[in-house]
Amino acid sequence: MSEHRSSIALVDVNNFYVSSERAFDPSLEGRPLVVLSNNDGCVITRSPEAKALGISMGTPWFRIAGQARDWGLEVRSSNYELYGDLSARVMELLGRYTGNLEIYSIDEAFLTLSGPLDAQHRTGTEIRAVVRRHVGLPVCVGIAPTKTLAKLANRWAKGNPGFDGVCHWDLVPEEHRRSLLQRLAVSDIWGVGARNAQRLNAIGIDSAWDLAAADPVGIRKRFSVVLMRTVLELQGTSCITGHESTGNEQVLYSRSFATPVTTRDAMHQALSTYAQGAASRLARKSLQGRVITAFAATSPFSTGPRSAPTVCVPLPAHTANPLELTRAADRLLPLVEEGVPYIRAGVVVTDLRPAGAQALLPVDGSAPKDTGLLLHDVGRRFGRSAIGLGHAGLKAGSDWTMKRDMLSPHYTTKWSELPVVKAR
Amino acid sequence: MRMDGSGASGAAPRRPMGSTEGGSLLPSGYASPAQDWFEDRIDLNRHLIKDITSTFIVRVSGDAMEGAGISDGDELIVDRALRPRDGSVVIAVLDGELVIRRLRIAPSGVLLVAAHTAYEPIPVPDPDHLVIWGVATRCLHHV
Repeated sequence: MSEHRSSIALVDVNNFYVSSERAFDPSLEGRPLVVLSNNDGCVITRSPEAKALGISMGTPWFRIAGQARDWGLEVRSSNYELYGDLSARVMELLGRYTGNLEIYSIDEAFLTLSGPLDAQHRTGTEIRAVVRRHVGLPVCVGIAPTKTLAKLANRWAKGNPGFDGVCHWDLVPEEHRRSLLQRLAVSDIWGVGARNAQRLNAIGIDSAWDLAAADPVGIRKRFSVVLMRTVLELQGTSCITGHESTGNEQVLYSRSFATPVTTRDAMHQALSTYAQGAASRLARKSLQGRVITAFAATSPFSTGPRSAPTVCVPLPAHTANPLELTRAADRLLPLVEEGVPYIRAGVVVTDLRPAGAQALLPVDGSAPKDTGLLLHDVGRRFGRSAIGLGHAGLKAGSDWTMKRDMLSPHYTTKWSELPVVKAR
Repeated sequence: MRMDGSGASGAAPRRPMGSTEGGSLLPSGYASPAQDWFEDRIDLNRHLIKDITSTFIVRVSGDAMEGAGISDGDELIVDRALRPRDGSVVIAVLDGELVIRRLRIAPSGVLLVAAHTAYEPIPVPDPDHLVIWGVATRCLHHV
């Protein structure tokens, strides 16, 4: 007889951007590949082969561009349109396995699983196979009683081929779990920042094992409620709920409805409210986001029609503008079915960065009227190629132009850029 | 099949029979039966796509599948979740490229076969390592 318990699974896509590029260009398989951030030209995702070359996260592209050819290194600009579409496909698939899907970022989500523990493990294995088969992306699954432990289990599943991509914390022998926790630095635990880690080290708490053994109340007194929750979670008590997990990786705004929403109009209202809620959270934290995901779901216990639409919308530029976020979230509406009782909806803003990190001129025609004058003045003072609208205005051969050349096609969102299959 | 009735040659939009336009067909005060005629327009997504998560559109380059009615420049609906069978038109990964052929599974071996006499069948010596990217379900042939 296997033990029954509700668990939390963390599913994430391995090297999401790299894997997305490879899904449509198999020639990239097995070759070193990095994906660059669109705006500043830094490495933001690396294939294992690129890691093996010693390229670290955040390396500016210009610093390695010279050697790229010698290394046989492939480089791509961020194709947010492609990643957004593939993300939405993955999330829709994950929603088929749980009544409680919490999208955490563009490439990871928490799922509640119930039933016997070994059945939960089998579900994890099935999810891995199905996402691979349907979308062509590799995922890893970590399953545990709490989110913090699910993160750890996921990390373990990734690092150890023996797990075959799925690790259920409760099915791992006690002594193995202990040795994992003892080897893991506190700074590597989800929710423990570098500063907290330093202060923890100062009082002799170095490993995850040390932190798990700490007194939660003492930690709350010395540090914060947030860190106390991490301790409790490491000890197996689930206490980080969806509404609270607004780290600096994402801002989530999601609610269950008091009475089911059954019309597109009502869903429109709900999404507007949530998008604006997310916008004000971003503003409070002085953050801007580049991708918004909107979702809705029917009850997992409903015997009627089930529906779990998801859209992932890349924004033209980083923003915390409630209007832009609301408009993007509205893209969910065509997928919302009239008459179907939805019990939950929400929005998640991801790919965050501090507000004001870089000023970009709008490229969608929404520029204020005096932009032309401004362009003119700057151009006269600093030369005509010093400033431009979008990428049209920049001089040929600039960094920006080069980066556009490294953009893969919008395989799934543009009719003119479909993947080409060879009939030769 | 009911299509959007607005004619191309400037003809007046057609209406389904029983329309109350003109109001002469039915006694006044009677609930309009026209509402029974309203239904959503045909949605190709609903009819041509079984599972949106695994469906991709690709474009054909070349004439190797001409004999199967699949021409250069045609678009194909591909379902990555389908299990390829003997006779399936598949997108296979060969030397890092996406290649379209018909899959033939026989006791004598596995082949990827073109639908054009100019192209030799491609033998698959090690079927376990053959990567099938997806199975074509429809061809959007340009007529």
